[in-house]
Amino acid sequence: MAEALAEDEIRFDLPIDRAKVQEFALAVGEDNPVCLDVDAARAAGLPDIVAPPTFTVTQIFVVGRDERERRLGANLDYGRVLHGEQEFHYERLPFAGEVLKGVMRISKDFTKEGKRGGSMRFVTYESVFTDVQGEIVLTAYYTLIETSKDVG
Amino acid sequence: MGVPESITLDSVTPGMELGPVVFGPFTREDFVRYAEASGDDNPIHQDDEYARLQGAPSVFAMGMLPAGYLAHAASDWFGGPTHVQRFKVRFTTRTWPGDEIVCTGKVEEIADGVIKVRLEARRRGPGPDGLDLDEEQIALTGEADIVLPE
Repeated sequence: MAEALAEDEIRFDLPIDRAKVQEFALAVGEDNPVCLDVDAARAAGLPDIVAPPTFTVTQIFVVGRDERERRLGANLDYGRVLHGEQEFHYERLPFAGEVLKGVMRISKDFTKEGKRGGSMRFVTYESVFTDVQGEIVLTAYYTLIETSKDVG
Repeated sequence: MGVPESITLDSVTPGMELGPVVFGPFTREDFVRYAEASGDDNPIHQDDEYARLQGAPSVFAMGMLPAGYLAHAASDWFGGPTHVQRFKVRFTTRTWPGDEIVCTGKVEEIADGVIKVRLEARRRGPGPDGLDLDEEQIALTGEADIVLPE
């Protein structure tokens, strides 16, 4: 049986739920009122509370590993995979109440020889998030490293 | 930290050191709370027995948890999260229950109104039994670009 061809990108929705933003803020020690209190956010000229800078990493669990693997086909052996890097470029932070449209694709895939033998493969998943007007809100880069031996 | 003090571009100079801001020490409840908030329900962060089966001496934190602390520290140094234009972290070593997370930063340069900051989060603590870790290690290195309002 022929294997299904990998897709170039995965499109998904990321709802920015107010209660989830507050819960996430508290979990990372974010006590700035613009992330917690609607009145404080509005007093600061924002339409609603804003998601903390690392909030959209939750996308990884919206489109889970199995779906990402199946559809984008990086063919990673997750027994040897570490989360190596994470990067975000913001036009602005997401507001509670909006639903971001995400488009995820593999933007980098390369192998580097290690100093002590063995190699490391770097795979970066880039996700561009746009708002209801079609404006880019932020871009996230999720980089996995596949090592040449078991990471345990 | 609450509402950060306001800061202006004039008051920021290259070489300026920020922090330390100390979070923790980590408890297992911190990992459970982050798991629920983020959706990262990998049992290696919550179930000691499972972690041991995977070869780790105990549960350890999701990398994005100390990364979230570091983002918060960086935001607060510059007046709040809405001033952060770019944030990047590289994960160096795992962080463990009992670890404090010590966040520091240094202004590298200011280019076209963008403040370039180098970030670091260290783990500080005894570490789990059986690993014989140094008391203090770099857990994350990072970078942030900050743009202050006019």
